[in-house]
Amino acid sequence: MDYTKQIQEIASKLFAEEKIDIFIGYRQNAFDDNQVPILVTVPADVPNLIFTDKSVLNLTNYLKFEHTRNKRVGIVVKGCDSRALNMLLTESQVKRENLYVIGINCTGVLNEKGEKAQNCLECVMPDAVVYDEMIGTPSGKKEYSVNVDVKELAAKGLVERGEYFQEIFENCIRCNACRHSCPLCYCTKCCIDQESAVLYNGSNTPSSAFHALMTWSLHLAGRCVDCRNCEKACPSHLPLHLLHKQNEMVIYENFQQHLAGMEKDDRGAFYKYSMKDPDDFIM
Amino acid sequence: METEVKETKGQVVSAENPGIVAPADWQPVIMGILCNWCSYAGSDLTGTSRIQYPPNIRIIRVPCSSRVDPWFIIKSLQTSADGVLISGCHPGDCHYISGNYYARRRFLVTKKLLNFVGYHENRIQFSWVSAAEGPKFAKVVAKVTEDIKKLGPLHKYKKENLK
Repeated sequence: MDYTKQIQEIASKLFAEEKIDIFIGYRQNAFDDNQVPILVTVPADVPNLIFTDKSVLNLTNYLKFEHTRNKRVGIVVKGCDSRALNMLLTESQVKRENLYVIGINCTGVLNEKGEKAQNCLECVMPDAVVYDEMIGTPSGKKEYSVNVDVKELAAKGLVERGEYFQEIFENCIRCNACRHSCPLCYCTKCCIDQESAVLYNGSNTPSSAFHALMTWSLHLAGRCVDCRNCEKACPSHLPLHLLHKQNEMVIYENFQQHLAGMEKDDRGAFYKYSMKDPDDFIM
Repeated sequence: METEVKETKGQVVSAENPGIVAPADWQPVIMGILCNWCSYAGSDLTGTSRIQYPPNIRIIRVPCSSRVDPWFIIKSLQTSADGVLISGCHPGDCHYISGNYYARRRFLVTKKLLNFVGYHENRIQFSWVSAAEGPKFAKVVAKVTEDIKKLGPLHKYKKENLK
């Protein structure tokens, strides 16, 4: 998957037609081993743009910041990113008329080891669902499968699982990088910071990490699109996808096979209900 | 997913943390979050009907069961509660027409996630209690208290245990 040439062509065309102010894409980093986001504002920077199967980050995260709001933006989105963009559009965080979306029909990106990333193996929608221009051939919707890590962990006992998560919460340093890197965490004031004892809860104790990560993942339940920006941003390399995939599994199995961001104007699983929802766990 | 609850003579062992034990006369603290229109009125009826129920429950009144953010449950478990009981109107009886349907979805996901990270599923319980069901409220509280007494004290991620 190498679409560098097409993306550069489209970007220079958009700048020439004065359709956009900013183009958000990927560029090679200084060490030539990874890719980082680039915000192109002048046509002279267009040759820096690149797209290969190492373009892992979800660029829709950059639509929530001040310098791209209310500007005309061109953006590159893969399948999962386009679902996040769909959520942002539905939640009125970005205006569709300000965007020029280049949808990539993704064939999967690589992880740090050079293998196909795990979320791409389990991807349900590799094609872009929102786009103005499409690159690549669409491969269609795929079948949902439960995450292997979640399955493996759910088979273990309660105490064992508790010890596993205890370690995760102990290793969290409460830097909030997961929250900042998440495209769908756009609240200017987050509820997990609204604490009278800010100093206590802001410290990196397992208790505060439990509180922050659990609240965060439950506020993203039914909205998370499994782009794994949080995991890539985490300095402690915590398997944060476990919490999201667990919620996604429960929602998919119980609430009419709901998956976030697949359709326009779908606000997420918690914004609708059905008479057939499970009731057997309630006394 | 289900784990067996250990029963030891003379003391209670925490279900999540087998190293933590409490004396046999240990009393749990249960956070009760009740909806204003049905369950809170139901608990009031329990009182005015002179029906006895365990005093372990600490009641908070909310406008509707869909007012309950999963955050409330997490905060309760993180601070002093050993268990949480959330109660609202029966499906179809919501004062705000459909609040409890939305709440039901959230409760299921919250319960499953907390079970996934290592909480016994009986720590977080839900019930539908209408304003006329005073005896049912007493039964629900008795059952939840009994369940949580078996599970023992909750030690996990408690603020006060972290010094």
